[in-house]
Amino acid sequence: MSAVSHASRGLALPAARSIALPIALLVVWQIAGTAGGNPRTPVPTRVLAAAMQLVESGDLPLALLQSLGRVFAGFAIAAGLAIPLGLAMGAFASVERNVDPLIESFRPIAAIAILPLAILWLGTGTPAAILIVAYAAFFPIVVNTAAGAKRINPTLLRAAATMGLTRLKIISTVIVPGALPAIGVGLRIAMGVAWTAIVAAELAVGAKAGGGGSGGIGQMMFVFYAYSIELNRIVVCMIAVGLVALALDRALRAGMRRAMPWMSA
Amino acid sequence: MAVFVALWWALAAWISNPALLPTPLAVLKALAALAGDLELFLHAGISLARMLLSLALATLLAVPLGLAMGLNRLLDHIVDPVIEILRPISGIAWIPLALFILGVGNALPVFIMTYAAFFPILLGTVAGVRSVDKRFVDAARTMGVPRARIVAKVVVPAALPSLLVALRLGVASSWTAVVAAELIGAPSGLGYAIEWYRELLLTPQVMTFIAAIGLLGYFFDRGLRAMGQRFAPWAAEARIS
Repeated sequence: MSAVSHASRGLALPAARSIALPIALLVVWQIAGTAGGNPRTPVPTRVLAAAMQLVESGDLPLALLQSLGRVFAGFAIAAGLAIPLGLAMGAFASVERNVDPLIESFRPIAAIAILPLAILWLGTGTPAAILIVAYAAFFPIVVNTAAGAKRINPTLLRAAATMGLTRLKIISTVIVPGALPAIGVGLRIAMGVAWTAIVAAELAVGAKAGGGGSGGIGQMMFVFYAYSIELNRIVVCMIAVGLVALALDRALRAGMRRAMPWMSA
Repeated sequence: MAVFVALWWALAAWISNPALLPTPLAVLKALAALAGDLELFLHAGISLARMLLSLALATLLAVPLGLAMGLNRLLDHIVDPVIEILRPISGIAWIPLALFILGVGNALPVFIMTYAAFFPILLGTVAGVRSVDKRFVDAARTMGVPRARIVAKVVVPAALPSLLVALRLGVASSWTAVVAAELIGAPSGLGYAIEWYRELLLTPQVMTFIAAIGLLGYFFDRGLRAMGQRFAPWAAEARIS
């Protein structure tokens, strides 16, 4: 009864309700920012103008593409290593016994903490950034894949074994499809982590390499911070980072639904 | 594990350049030296103190808001869009702007970590409140328990397991952010120490501090897990990845 009345009230003006607070905050921000009188203070109208400039000049799309390229490269490496390893850990207890302690001892080390080593070994360019992304994305994928492969209904495994399937055949026909939803979750978490890591890596590389451009959105933000001091443009970059994160997550979710229509994720 | 250490040692011996890849023994020696003159504990203590402060701030902000959003649909409709707009912007992306506003110092890492921990805790609290079995609430209401008491005695204990998982997620994400924040904009802490020794090309020390970050993150997670079992023993061991 109360649920019904909630629902009908919720339908009254849902759109107005959802945009009320964001718009109110934008208005407050605009007024407070303009009242300060400093033309460098970021306010929504100036941020919008800066966004138009950055998009028109092609700087922002280029930086985003550079960062995305690194994310996809690192992500592909991580998935290529982590999915087979995770499946092996789930399928063979001996593999898990040997590999799991190693993974668990590296997992708490944040990708950014590896950055100084990556710079030391690979310099401040793209390879170091890809290494960071691959490291960051590896752990969510391997942990989720292994968990998914272990959680498979033992009846199915016994049935397959009874019918005389070989170990490899069981992995490809029973374990992989059964673990697919968990792998999907791992990939989605990993993509979020990878995008955060690339921004951090590029920021830190920008900060430590003295702006010696290796490109990317993080580097671009650092240049706006340290050299040209354009706060409006920094805010544009932040919004772009958020939008890309959202788009990546949505795209992966849609991809999962296409690949696994039987799951209602 | 032993195989890994042996491989590392062999590779280090083959490269034989301690600045690129020191042997495990060199790292252990650096660890002993850094622990001996307390430098390791000093930086770790600073990072930990920032972490605890940010965690307390994030919890104080996120838990009441999450409870209110979980209980009140109207508030949820109003606040949720703002949360969903801000959430995809990672804490790390705030660093340049925050660096400009707050400067190098304690405020920057604390701000970034609080921001990073805020969203997991908020979402976990909301989800926890939503997942409370309606029958418990109805039973309490039937017995005439006032609303505030229902929240305190039924909703909060039932939401606690989900809240504790959220707290662990919050710790994980803010601990990741501390390194980035200190690496770029703090004059002390583990992230700063890593960067300092990298510039001096003292790789054994760099690796020691990296290991310290991993160990502290691990123990933090263990501690929270133990706390969960102590204070919410009714929660089935919830796993996060």
